[in-house]
Amino acid sequence: MDFTFTAEQLEFRDTVAGLLKTEVTSDSIRARWSTDSGKDPALQEQLLAMGVYSLLFPESLGGLGMDAIDAVLLAEACGAVALPEPLAETMMVASPLLVDILNRGLGNGAIQPIIDGVMDGRVNVAVLHPINPYLNFAADVDWILAGSGDGLYLLPRDAVNLTPAKSLDPSRRLSSVEFDPSAEHRVAGGEVGAALLRASLNLGGLTVAAQLLGLSELLVSQSVQYTQDRNQFGRPVGANQAVKHLLADVAVQLEYARPVVARAAYTVGVSPERADFAVSHAKLAATRVAQLAARQAIQVHGAMGYTWECDVQIAAKRIWALSYEWGDEGFHKNRIHEWLLQPNALLGPEYTFGRRSLVG
Amino acid sequence: MQLEFSPADEQFRNEVASWLRDHLCGEFAAIRGRGGPGDEHHFVDERKAWERTLAEGGWTCIGWPEQWGGRGATIEQQVIFNEEYARAGGPGRLGHIGETLTGPTLLAFGSEQQKQRYLPDIRAGQAFWCQGYSEPGAGSDLSNIKTRAEWDEQERVWRFYGQKVWTSLAHESDFIFVLARTDVSQRGHRGLSFFLVPLAQEGLEIRPITQLTGTAEFNEVFFDGACCSPEDLVGEEGDGWRVAMGLLGFERGVSTLGQQMLFQVELDEVIRLAKENGASRQPALRQRIAEAHIGLRTLRYNSLRMLSGEDDGSLSREAMIYKLAWSNWHRNLGKLAMDVLGPEAELVESAPYELNRLQSLFLFTRADTIYGGTNQIQRNLIAERALGMPREPRGDA
Ligand SMILES: Cc1cc2nc3c(=O)[nH]c(=O)nc-3n(C[C@H](O)[C@H](O)[C@H](O)COP(=O)(O)OP(=O)(O)OC[C@H]3O[C@@H](n4cnc5c(N)ncnc54)[C@H](O)[C@@H]3O)c2cc1C
Repeated sequence: MDFTFTAEQLEFRDTVAGLLKTEVTSDSIRARWSTDSGKDPALQEQLLAMGVYSLLFPESLGGLGMDAIDAVLLAEACGAVALPEPLAETMMVASPLLVDILNRGLGNGAIQPIIDGVMDGRVNVAVLHPINPYLNFAADVDWILAGSGDGLYLLPRDAVNLTPAKSLDPSRRLSSVEFDPSAEHRVAGGEVGAALLRASLNLGGLTVAAQLLGLSELLVSQSVQYTQDRNQFGRPVGANQAVKHLLADVAVQLEYARPVVARAAYTVGVSPERADFAVSHAKLAATRVAQLAARQAIQVHGAMGYTWECDVQIAAKRIWALSYEWGDEGFHKNRIHEWLLQPNALLGPEYTFGRRSLVG
Repeated sequence: MQLEFSPADEQFRNEVASWLRDHLCGEFAAIRGRGGPGDEHHFVDERKAWERTLAEGGWTCIGWPEQWGGRGATIEQQVIFNEEYARAGGPGRLGHIGETLTGPTLLAFGSEQQKQRYLPDIRAGQAFWCQGYSEPGAGSDLSNIKTRAEWDEQERVWRFYGQKVWTSLAHESDFIFVLARTDVSQRGHRGLSFFLVPLAQEGLEIRPITQLTGTAEFNEVFFDGACCSPEDLVGEEGDGWRVAMGLLGFERGVSTLGQQMLFQVELDEVIRLAKENGASRQPALRQRIAEAHIGLRTLRYNSLRMLSGEDDGSLSREAMIYKLAWSNWHRNLGKLAMDVLGPEAELVESAPYELNRLQSLFLFTRADTIYGGTNQIQRNLIAERALGMPREPRGDA
């Protein structure tokens, strides 16, 4: 057993994180707020050149052949700069779903060209799961993989009706999506459709959980900085235990949430059909720390934290939005207690870490 | 102990309720339930007109002595008024600061001349006030005030230089009470004085600060030679800290009960929504709704107890715990509202950034634990003043 990431995984993360840190500043995020697209096309090009859009495609398809464990580190890095673009979603939700469809021989030959297009940056795909009433950054997608009931549909942009909606988070570009679930666009239904949708929900939950960790870290570092710089009573406000403890509590929860998310990524990677529990746990743990981080970050900033000018709002509002995406707290808690309380649940010390192995 | 209201009080309640029913309609129907926390920027002119209507009906400043146009209302009656006002959906009170802070402070510390000059306009809903305490360097450490008041012998006025910040509603107000340093050789709470200053004048600039909500309720107020007359110094020169602290004591006032009625209205809204959108079927949310309900009851009982005590403007133990208790309760309610909304919590009403009621509630409650003394400062006060624990050391940076 080894709960750590490999040197290569961390190195790739550091490379991408390095680019994100220089390019995605609070100024550049605020600049996006007043544009329609909300995106930075130059950054897209740089990320493409680094291969992040090929990350989760197998080498046989021309991809980098990495898995959810590699990707989860990148998703966290996206959160750590509050990246507005849905890079993590494209990489971790849409790509694996496309591969899954292709491997099952579904999609009538449409999938391969889409995968090629995603890898060379020409084609933009998004996943609309029924659990999410809105799709983020839908305006410039070429294809939408949309669920309805247990059906999965592959829809070209002109087959859907998009109605823009405003998010509490000015970085996001929401739309509600209407489409006609017709046989023409249907990729899968019945058990297969349901399995694909469930897999995408777990990927989505994981992606958001990882971003929430990054966002929490961002808020902690902003807060640590501010409480050193801000003086009251003749010393930095961070010198007060009451202030220190607010942030220490976040740091503790954050470190405890990290292995939970890593474990969920592992399970999604090696045993996706058994990932519900792990993903729900990850989403819950990450949401909890992120909500706490947002609350304490504002608190330690005093009135400054309540202003539009203060950058705390960038990450805080993202956290408030993502907390409800891909299943809110109620949804994920239900998945856990329904599983635990079923009559033949596998309980007892021998199952503490799952049956036989960690992945259970 | 005697927990019922008397028949006379109940009759008073009917009188308030029926007056509000008869007047909070017609041209004022649109402002029902508006202008509360997070919504202060809406319907300002209408709400000022409403203040004048309230005044004509004799419903402003009811707790003031009759001599100054009040009703000399008992604590019970003030409680009842505030409850009925909130129940009727009375709009956020723009006259609040003048009525509950400036007025009582002048009654306690002001000169006869000051009372005559300022109280009638507050009572008539004609003059609106804001609170000039905080500065960029004086937040939790309020005594670190740097704004100077200099005596101008030639013009025989006090002149102000410096800056206030986070001044709520300054842009909608006529006057500001200012805590300023009259003796710059002194530090901390010594050498401060308390002034009444008109806002519309040369040498005074108000700049709104945009909040998390995208709206601007508070402001920066810059002083560069703005002035007030010597008659507008409250108390003695150098006595500002005592006056300023006395004023904060009045904040415990009866408005807390009206505030709780507003909380009740918000909680009812959350419950209604939970039933409507099915969130009430989630066990975790059901429990939090129950927690919210009993939490609010607890606040109410404590307030009633606190108001039963002496009304001398001094901080009682009960008053000391109140800010911490309600701000935490309200912050949790904000979060509960969002969780009940679920994924809809994220959606704002169209351009440019119109928040719905519950989103405003959520965002505004992020500030509840900050203004009027942060949670951390409240806990320090409870530990040091109520429990007598050792004071924290000051730095000397
Ligand atoms: C919505 C809103 C409206 C306001 N309206 C007004 C108004 O009308 N008039 C006015 O004068 N002011 C107003 N204020 C200002 C308010 O009173 C201050 O924000 C408050 O006193 C805190 O000061 P600060 O913001 O400078 O925070 P800081 O004092 O800088 O505090 C930053 C953090 O450090 C903590 N901290 C500081 N010192 C200590 C300590 N000794 N021990 C432990 N923790 C500590 C605080 O709790 C906080 O978490 C308003 C504020 C808000 C948010």
